[in-house]
Amino acid sequence: MTNSNRMVGMLSRREIMALAGGAALAGMTGLPAFAQEAAKKGGILKVAAPANPSSLDPATGGAGSDHSILWTMYDTLVEWDYTTLKPKPGLAKWAYPDPNTMVLDITKGIKFHDGTDLDAEAVKFNLERNRQDPRSNVKADLTSVASVEVTGPLQVTLKLKNPDTALPAILSDRAGMMVSPANIKALGNDTNRKPVGAGPWKFVSWADNAGIVVTRNEAYWRPGRPYLDGIEFSIIPELATALRSVIAGENEMAFSLPARLKPVIDRAKNLQVVTAPTLYCIQLYFNYARAPLNNVKVRQAVNFALDRQAFVKATMSGLGEPATMTLPSSHWAYDKSVSTLYPHDPAKAKKLLAEAGFKDGIELTIGSYNDQDSVRRSEVLQAQLGAAGIRLKFTRGTIAEISAQFFATEKKFDVLLSAWTGRPDPSMTYALGFDKGAYYNAGREADPELVKLIQQSRESEDLTERAKVFAKIQRFIMENGLSAPIAFQYELDALSKKALGYKPNLLGKPKFENMHLG
Amino acid sequence: MFQSRKLSIIVRRLLQAIPVIVLSTFIVFGLLKLVPGDVAVTLAGDNASDARIAEIQHIYGLDRPFLVQYGSWLWKAVHGDLSSSLVSSESVLSSIERCLPHTMLIVVLAMLLALVIGIPLGIAAASKPGSWTDGFVMTIASLGVAIPNFWLGMLMVAFFSLDLNWLPATGATPISEDFWDAIRHAILPACALASGGIAEVARQLRSSLVEILSSQQVRTLHAKGLPPSSILWRHGLKNVSVNLLTVISLLFNRMLAATVVVEAVFAIPGMGNLIVNGAIHRDFPVVQGVVFAMVLIVVTLNLLTDVLYSILDPRIS
Repeated sequence: MTNSNRMVGMLSRREIMALAGGAALAGMTGLPAFAQEAAKKGGILKVAAPANPSSLDPATGGAGSDHSILWTMYDTLVEWDYTTLKPKPGLAKWAYPDPNTMVLDITKGIKFHDGTDLDAEAVKFNLERNRQDPRSNVKADLTSVASVEVTGPLQVTLKLKNPDTALPAILSDRAGMMVSPANIKALGNDTNRKPVGAGPWKFVSWADNAGIVVTRNEAYWRPGRPYLDGIEFSIIPELATALRSVIAGENEMAFSLPARLKPVIDRAKNLQVVTAPTLYCIQLYFNYARAPLNNVKVRQAVNFALDRQAFVKATMSGLGEPATMTLPSSHWAYDKSVSTLYPHDPAKAKKLLAEAGFKDGIELTIGSYNDQDSVRRSEVLQAQLGAAGIRLKFTRGTIAEISAQFFATEKKFDVLLSAWTGRPDPSMTYALGFDKGAYYNAGREADPELVKLIQQSRESEDLTERAKVFAKIQRFIMENGLSAPIAFQYELDALSKKALGYKPNLLGKPKFENMHLG
Repeated sequence: MFQSRKLSIIVRRLLQAIPVIVLSTFIVFGLLKLVPGDVAVTLAGDNASDARIAEIQHIYGLDRPFLVQYGSWLWKAVHGDLSSSLVSSESVLSSIERCLPHTMLIVVLAMLLALVIGIPLGIAAASKPGSWTDGFVMTIASLGVAIPNFWLGMLMVAFFSLDLNWLPATGATPISEDFWDAIRHAILPACALASGGIAEVARQLRSSLVEILSSQQVRTLHAKGLPPSSILWRHGLKNVSVNLLTVISLLFNRMLAATVVVEAVFAIPGMGNLIVNGAIHRDFPVVQGVVFAMVLIVVTLNLLTDVLYSILDPRIS
């Protein structure tokens, strides 16, 4: 949950800059100029990455922080537009001749780093492995696929069990990263330590928790790309240290920094700062399968008690957007009418509690993490909900510990203060977080109406049609108070003046394909 | 006689090490299993489901009874196989081979600093107890003990790396790759780590020297007309060498432990870093491997200390 795909916003660069505020503007002046600058080829980019990858094999890995590193080595069947996150062709173009069939046409002449062809057989091999290998973590993404057939040297046809228009977005994620079949046949699951893809850079080395090195793929299929000769990642989980390494000139870039480091970046004269909206949503998860949160009035009371605007100011230095549902306002499936359901209204919250039989307020147990940012969030939350008579009893621990206690079999705590990192397709977010039996639905229960709506959201290929279904889902979730979204967190990156061409994307996971050194 | 006594110490100590290793790895294993959180959830990734987690537990044998899991780890370890990381599948032995030199470099460098600075300070303070020098040294020593090393580390980075740009702020270079660059990277972390050590060496040396120098034996030496310098060097220091050795050996162990924090501040991919990451993900083969290696180091060090004791002071057996 600390990870994964965040999605699109349709903010223009101008709007992003306006949001980031005057202070950021000064640091961002380099950005709009990127387009005009002729990108220079050559040079090694040094990057501080926040986490050791869980695996360099897209099928067996699990952490959302992996993607930035995986994308350097693996290209995906489908890609997305940086600012809108709408799917667009990658290694392949797709079409739905009928609702239960998806056809992928692969671009001609692409080769893996080991020189083997990326053709229909290779794509079939990858999709079958992702679907069936016991160690594959992306099986659940491809459950709608009934069979994968090679229908031409460069054409693969997917027969579907049921219509699934989330597939393009899914194939822009792990499931669409193509690994060399020859490499997998030779190494099995050890391909994890010696990855071979078809991306802009080739794998050189990986030392756990220390660093990863990739070098230019001379045979890359996109002409003139990549600009950089290579990238050297230093893995520095302590983000203040990562930032210091950029200030000291040891790295050119540090990404996914917490808002509290913004003043430090601003003070350092030699840096560019980048901030941009993402799908990363700080929120309260409820276990609504049991008392007291099985009472809708209590869940609504929590939503009314939240002062989301103040939360963004107090915990994110303003680098965020108040969240009134699980999608930000810039998202194509955002529904404005839902956003007004829960104004900050402690009196209303108290009234709802009284109606639910808690005249003297209520005590809720809540799990939270013990890092600095989470502790600050929990303090603000305690004050806000406290004012409406909701007393929070916190248990703090590591992410692994607390989230397992809440989501897995133990079912500790009524509430969890955590985040949802977003997914390429909103239907994934709803299926993973609210469907019957879903892991991130702590109580595992779901209203049949909601279950049906989630299925429906994957039936049409037309985005306006889909947006209508998502609007219904969001309204259902928020009216029933199935969760309490609080705020979307902005991406914050620090770059040296030499690192040029970086474009943030709404997923909030950096891609380095446009970068070059000045 | 002397030789056989030394040999028997070594053999006895080695035998004692076995239960220490088994017990410590067992306790750590137990703690990892008792604490909530499961590596299977990490392995299941973003799109975890109950079924997927159960499946992973089965694939990695995490659903076997506690003792069976520990037993299979121990059995492999005894045969020289420390298994692989469950998360990244890197072999634990190669992780340790890569990380240990980074940690040892800063610990050894910190130890050298602690001795080179701490010993003269201790002697200066002890030769004139109650003097201005003594007070000064003891104030510094108290500060050294009181200042947290991670905080000192951050201050030093701010000053020496970010302002003056003399030394790197983060990272490490393998000593086998580039000796001087490795030292350059290790200087700041070693200084941060040494601050407490300097203080401790100075204080301990001072107090034991003061005791010796005010003893009747030393008064007799003065009466015999020996010059003060010869009394200090030949009689004073020789007598406190056993105390000093104890301090060094304890300090070494403590510094090894303190690297966990210092490595995080300086982003050094050492043993501390390794065990912290392992523990966060409940990646027990990694944690077990590090504990195993650390216990071996500490046991060897204690053994060495014991042998040195018997050389420095033949009365100790």
